[in-house]
Amino acid sequence: MQDGGPLHPGAVDLMGQVLRGDIGRRDFLRTAAWLGVSASSASAFLGLEGCASPPSVSGAKTLRFVCAVQQISDPATTAWIEASNLFRNSLEFLTEVDADNITHPYLAESWRPSDDLKTWRFELRRDVRWSNGEAFDVEDVAFNFKRWLNPASASVNRTSFSAVEAFETLGPYSFALHLRRPVCSLPEQLYAFTCPILNRRFEAQGADWPKHPIGTGPFTLTQFEVGRSARFRRRADYWGPPPKVEEIDYIDLGPDVATHVAALAAGQVDVLYRVTIAELDLVRRLPKVRLLRNQAAQTLVARMQVDKQPFDDIRIRRALLSAADNAAMLKFAYRGFGVVGENLHVAPFQPDYAPLEPAPRDVAKARRLLAEAGHPEGIDLTLTLGNTQGRWEQDTAQVLQQNCAEAGIRLRLNVIPPAEYWSVWNKTPFGLTYWSHRPLGVMLYDLAYRSGSVWNESRFADPEFDQALDAALAVLDPRMRQAKMARAEAILREQAVIVQPFWAEKFTAVSDRVIGHRAHPSDYFRMDRVGLA
Amino acid sequence: MALTMLAVSLLVFLALEVNGESVAVKVLGQFSTGDQRHLWLAQNGYFDPLPLRYGRWLWGFLQGRWGVSTYYHAEVRSLIAPRLAASAVLMAAALAVIVPLALALGVLAGIRQGSPVDRVVSVVAILTTSLPEFASAVFLSAIFVFGLGWAPGVSTLADGFSLRELALPVAVLALSSTGYIARITRASMVEAMASPYVRTARLKGAGPARIVLGHALRNALGAPVTVILLQIPWLLSGVIVVEVFFAYPGFGTLLYVASLNSDIYLIEACSMIGVIAVVSSQLLSDLINAALNPRLATERRAPPRRPVEALAP
Repeated sequence: MQDGGPLHPGAVDLMGQVLRGDIGRRDFLRTAAWLGVSASSASAFLGLEGCASPPSVSGAKTLRFVCAVQQISDPATTAWIEASNLFRNSLEFLTEVDADNITHPYLAESWRPSDDLKTWRFELRRDVRWSNGEAFDVEDVAFNFKRWLNPASASVNRTSFSAVEAFETLGPYSFALHLRRPVCSLPEQLYAFTCPILNRRFEAQGADWPKHPIGTGPFTLTQFEVGRSARFRRRADYWGPPPKVEEIDYIDLGPDVATHVAALAAGQVDVLYRVTIAELDLVRRLPKVRLLRNQAAQTLVARMQVDKQPFDDIRIRRALLSAADNAAMLKFAYRGFGVVGENLHVAPFQPDYAPLEPAPRDVAKARRLLAEAGHPEGIDLTLTLGNTQGRWEQDTAQVLQQNCAEAGIRLRLNVIPPAEYWSVWNKTPFGLTYWSHRPLGVMLYDLAYRSGSVWNESRFADPEFDQALDAALAVLDPRMRQAKMARAEAILREQAVIVQPFWAEKFTAVSDRVIGHRAHPSDYFRMDRVGLA
Repeated sequence: MALTMLAVSLLVFLALEVNGESVAVKVLGQFSTGDQRHLWLAQNGYFDPLPLRYGRWLWGFLQGRWGVSTYYHAEVRSLIAPRLAASAVLMAAALAVIVPLALALGVLAGIRQGSPVDRVVSVVAILTTSLPEFASAVFLSAIFVFGLGWAPGVSTLADGFSLRELALPVAVLALSSTGYIARITRASMVEAMASPYVRTARLKGAGPARIVLGHALRNALGAPVTVILLQIPWLLSGVIVVEVFFAYPGFGTLLYVASLNSDIYLIEACSMIGVIAVVSSQLLSDLINAALNPRLATERRAPPRRPVEALAP
């Protein structure tokens, strides 16, 4: 629709399905977007109205945002979403996934997959200029793909785009990606926080972004002090709609969210990065402060490294899954704000979720499994955790500890500082890791459980699982994909790699002067659309 | 004094530097390979004998080569100076409140032991002293930030010096240490009021003001001065709780972040600065005590005279 070419046959199919009511409107919008149908065309097909224009905002203002200001050198290897929220003001992506998980064109104006989903053609915007005055074109995109796909690359993008066989330049503003296997979610993956498009001379200039903060985005970095603050200023020559605020100040107030809430209550800041379950009641009571909520596929995963003792014994892993009371963890550690997990790492509200037979808690079975594994008197295990998202991680672990005690598993909690956790998260044999939201279950599986993935922290390697995942990635039709996902989910649960207790709702808070800010399930904020009353 | 500093510096060195491998991990990151670490250790002389390494490390520190912070990616020296200045401001403001208040209350209570004033001051002092800072910080901000909305929630001093932002941190510090100093002052005041020279003064018909200010106070100040000066190192590095709670950009927050992130050079430098602060405030307290109490001064300055009897043949 946007490129004027004929519709992808899959898109015609989808239109029939949504008219018959076989798939929901959101599934239609989401899938149509992957096929290169623009959100406005797809919305028009559904008869949805465009977004109402936001209330008027006052002009020149500075927005003050509480966020950890971390070291950034190479945005493609950053491990922190907080850091990405800084460079997202200056660096842009090929696509954008909004707070409703719908994919929109961004630097790529349109895209079309081949019928077998193995060749994707992208058209770039022609009116984009870098902040140093240079024109943006396919050379810049080629440079980024080359870096990501380099076998020596330390970026997680190497894994997430492992299906990409070749990057082909078709013209100054168009390129094609040739895939080894069909991948339906490619456009969504291009908005992962490690995928900003950097200038082609990024490496020549020393591969240190804050030193040469060149970007195509609406703001320019003007000041950057790790652990203190960062400041972005609106660009006059930005290609898109001008940002609503002139300046954004990022202020690092340390790790304690209660301190952030105090600053918001006193009107010293306008937007908080996040609010945890601990501050929820306080925030609700504050005048002039708005609590923002959003369902998100963010979760804690107590994952066991299948190649380390004693977790190389599947009976031990299964005993843990049987002993864990996921509903109790949600109720006591997260006060019920979320959805109970089924140790699948796919959320019921993700479009490719396939329901499996419930596997209820069974303490007797856990004891039996332990005895079979040669531990009739119980076993001592150590769970490492870092409270990277707040105290609720430890609360969850403590409930798990009590669950385990009932089955004779003596769980010791090794609580380490958050920053230290991220140095050992993929090394410790048994760790409680926070996984942020991804729009699709297949994306999580590709990152965390495919054999040899950079972020595969459990060292789980199962060719059958990989095959099932590939099959799911090759299916465009949401219902058909569910059937393929059921297989992959069943293998993961069968192999008992993770205890995944619950899906935690996301909270943040803003001052009531803030207009147009939404809680994004991935915490990927677009600040150029946010204004101040 | 120099000996104390040397001893503590040796402790810092032993605690943080002896295990070269762990230093290499902290500097190069967890994802570095064994080869990279070995190379780094060799380049930085970590395979030399221990005394040589200690000497080199101390010499480097004395020359101001404090290394680069792994978390802030900046020279440690350039990080510490502004943080120390900010903490000094907080410390000065806190002392400006604590010292007059504590001395006044202590003297008032100590003039007449057992009077109603004495009772009230003692009870309040005990109550406030027993309240830890993290609790009083929460209480005060619940009342003044969330409840009344009078005070700012954080004290980042982002727009320069601000008395409003200092109010709450200073109040928390004052709450926790005024009572203690007041009680110390009261105790020495009580002792001084019962001493023979005060009785003599009273018998000679001196007025109460003259007795207190001219005779008792000067002698009673010894202990409080020592305690007040002991508060200085505490205010410099022991106020981590208060600084972190109010996001105050001081020395305590720096040390806290450094420890959270295993920022080894920053931790070393902060510890050494802490040592210097403790030792120099001790020295200052000795000097002030000497000025207050001439007996101590003469004992130090002149060697004791030999007894007259010894001169006899």
